[in-house]
Amino acid sequence: MKRALLIAGGTVGGLGAVLAITPPQLSTTSSINIAGGSVIGTTGTSSSASASSSSTSSAPTKSAKPVATKKATAGATTQPAASQSATAAASPAATQTTAPVTSTVKDGTFTGPSVNVNYGNVQVMITVSNGKITDAVAVQAPRGKNDRYTNMAVPILKQQTLQAQSANIQGASGASYTSYGWFKSLQGAMAQAGL
Amino acid sequence: MNHLRQQFPVWGTIVDVDCYSQFVSDADLNEAMKQITDFCEAVDRDFSTYKEDSWVTRLRLGKVAIENCPDDVIEVWDLCAQAKWLSDGAFDPWAVAGGFDPSGLVKGWAADKCADLLVAAGVPHVQVNAAGDLALRGGWFDSASEEIKPWSIGVVNPTNTLEVVKVYEITDGAIATSGTYERGAHIHDPQTGMIAIGAASATVVGPLGWLCDAMATAVMVGGDDSAKWFGQPELQGYQVFGVNRHEESAWEI
Repeated sequence: MKRALLIAGGTVGGLGAVLAITPPQLSTTSSINIAGGSVIGTTGTSSSASASSSSTSSAPTKSAKPVATKKATAGATTQPAASQSATAAASPAATQTTAPVTSTVKDGTFTGPSVNVNYGNVQVMITVSNGKITDAVAVQAPRGKNDRYTNMAVPILKQQTLQAQSANIQGASGASYTSYGWFKSLQGAMAQAGL
Repeated sequence: MNHLRQQFPVWGTIVDVDCYSQFVSDADLNEAMKQITDFCEAVDRDFSTYKEDSWVTRLRLGKVAIENCPDDVIEVWDLCAQAKWLSDGAFDPWAVAGGFDPSGLVKGWAADKCADLLVAAGVPHVQVNAAGDLALRGGWFDSASEEIKPWSIGVVNPTNTLEVVKVYEITDGAIATSGTYERGAHIHDPQTGMIAIGAASATVVGPLGWLCDAMATAVMVGGDDSAKWFGQPELQGYQVFGVNRHEESAWEI
């Protein structure tokens, strides 16, 4: 199972390769193949599909459709929710694309606060290298009868943390976020790193 | 282009909202976010099977008839019936132990509602990720190239959640994944009552969030036999990506 699915290589760097896939565009429903049910190896799919990477269906207009709003003048000058940056801790990519990494970002390992969730404590440690999070681990996670739950949740949250940095992917399907504590602790660790 | 990304806890999980707007002010963005969190909390109050006084709990206990429920609950009830019919009964919220349980549809439905709330507030580029069930609107704004691009959404390998096995590019629409790895083995075959073994994970991409969510659950039960459902005209425009449980393979419809 793992062999066949190991197209991302399990590393963030590997994500780049698989992200070159351009799957069928949802907006062009005509291209969707409805018949089928045939078994397709993932490995083959990924390597063969990687040739075409640019999309054509979305209109690459420079800016958004001018939606009429109440405060058309206010929007242009205000910062994109600077006050929200604390809650947006899990999306460093977004912050970095709008505001490039500044000299205040420190490399190293940073440990967030221990956050109580209703079945134990969660504490996250991140590794920052060249201004990017390269690893995120739970140094403290609930134990005991919730082990099975924790064992699933931690890698999913780690993946969310790392994926959020990839400029090539904006979201993931299939991963339940299971711990708000993870994000709270992550926030603290990122604040220490200056992210 | 103003950008806001925010997570909030609801339904025992996290909802992640990511949106871009050129004109809407921070204050209005925050107001729209408030509407979304309020809506999600209302969904929790109405649909939770864990809350004693939710409408769904009262329905399960036979304390209320569906006709006497609020509009949202009736809407979801009707959508459940449609999804059951479209999946030949593989998705059957009435066959769950304890009675009517729309949990396999509500997250996708709510994600759509949240996304539409933001669009109505003048925010054209929206991603709402309700714990793996996503609603996408208008693509996202890439500040590096100053272009609107389709949202790139990765499907996670159910046996190694650090891997992305497929990426869908979606400008407008929804994507939902069901899998035993999310919350343990939580998908049951309504016909047998056994834990579903059709696929290790099933992803459905299409226009409507509730239908993607419900059909992803149904494909978990039906496996690649589900191919026949997707030939129906009602499911034109929907794609399936399944990862098999016992073989080293994935399949698509």
